[in-house]
Amino acid sequence: MKDEIVKIKGSKNGLQMSFSPTASFPEIVQTIREKLSSGSAFFLKGTTVQIPREPFTDEERETLRKLFYSHGLICQSVRQQASNPQPASSNPAPAASNPQQPAENVQQMVVIDRTLRGGQEVRTQSSVLVCGNVNPGAQIIAGGSIDIRGTCRGIVHAGALGDTKAFIVADHLMPTQIRIANLIARSPDPSPAAAYAEKTKRAERASIKDGQIVIEPIER
Amino acid sequence: MSEVFVITSGKGGVGKTTTTANLGVGLAMRGKKVVLVDTDTGLRNLDLLLGLENRIMYTLIDVVEGRVPYKKALVRHKKHETLYLLPTSQVKDKSAVNPEQLAKLCEELRKDFDYVLIDCPAGIEQGFKTAIAAADVAIVVTMPEISAVRDADKIIGELARAEKTDIRLIVNRIRPQMVEKGDMMSMEDIDDILSVKCIGQVPDDELVVTSTNRGEPCITIDKSLAGQAYRNIVGRLCGEDIPFMTFPKEGFFARLKHALGM
Repeated sequence: MKDEIVKIKGSKNGLQMSFSPTASFPEIVQTIREKLSSGSAFFLKGTTVQIPREPFTDEERETLRKLFYSHGLICQSVRQQASNPQPASSNPAPAASNPQQPAENVQQMVVIDRTLRGGQEVRTQSSVLVCGNVNPGAQIIAGGSIDIRGTCRGIVHAGALGDTKAFIVADHLMPTQIRIANLIARSPDPSPAAAYAEKTKRAERASIKDGQIVIEPIER
Repeated sequence: MSEVFVITSGKGGVGKTTTTANLGVGLAMRGKKVVLVDTDTGLRNLDLLLGLENRIMYTLIDVVEGRVPYKKALVRHKKHETLYLLPTSQVKDKSAVNPEQLAKLCEELRKDFDYVLIDCPAGIEQGFKTAIAAADVAIVVTMPEISAVRDADKIIGELARAEKTDIRLIVNRIRPQMVEKGDMMSMEDIDDILSVKCIGQVPDDELVVTSTNRGEPCITIDKSLAGQAYRNIVGRLCGEDIPFMTFPKEGFFARLKHALGM
């Protein structure tokens, strides 16, 4: 069987892609496009994809980044180092203590530096920090906790993998639905008098207490 | 230096076509060379609003398929000599034009016109993707209503995904008295969600309907409040700094009537 052009490996940081050194750039783009449009559950929106920095030019990396972006994936280019170790002679440090090891255990956080608009979705196993608003119709599903530096009006699910200690914090916490682990709470039905829900005054934090979702004001 | 605008909204019926017609006439009144491109293939309306339906010979589809040069399909406006319409087909559907074809056409139009205004169909499918392909600036039209704002939000997200970053907002059909009473979303409520630069606040105005039926956009009517709002938008597009209109407050007698429950 011929060497696969694109190899995909799941990791803590998202999906790691490696490419056959014999494949041409158009071949690579074509293969990725096919894989992305095959609609595999692998490529959830908001997933980080890591591609090696090395064989590509700046323009090629930009092309790949746009391709992933159009499918809702975030592309990072990384220097290859751990995967193909250089001969030890070039590095005088003792081989026993691998500096990569402790970094692996640090908890990951996805940072979203924009407003999530209606119809946009972030799914991740880690925690999420949003520097912007979460608008009605947007969704965040996180394995960890969720921190929103702005107004939250969408659907937020923290601890989606079962972590009942996960919490949700927002400057203005007024979501359509709030879910933590396997519990759900929804916003109160709007009073018929108000055309539009008023903004909450203080930052709030939602967490599970005594088997139900509790929202309490916090300072920050 | 010409600019290509796309007028879009997501939701139907918020006034995309009305806005396109008014801005087109307004820019032409200032002596600019303007072409309006209708991309709502199969459901074309822009020709009706301009009163040009009976002059259409060829359509956008004939142009992109190479049957005629685009100049043959252009229809000149009756009164405004620098305003042209490139109508679309009422027979075909949205799949008849693709983004590359429209982008190529817009490159040609750019050479001859100061402003190219593209009237986008409702929805987020093929027709929308085609319409936005060539635009430098997207004008999102919405109404103070939760469904229209929700759809505008989605559209802004889609525009960002297509790497269109210059986005402006027009809020149409505002009813100031309802806003004042808290029965309608205010500009602040809308801005809070969309946070996009607003270039127009157009009040609801009966003259829009009557002028539409006559095929003459309300921007030409001096006494029309909506017309005034559109004239202000045209000024802002031309780089002028015009403050937003303040709407006349409800008069003493009207308030008395309300108080008496009449």
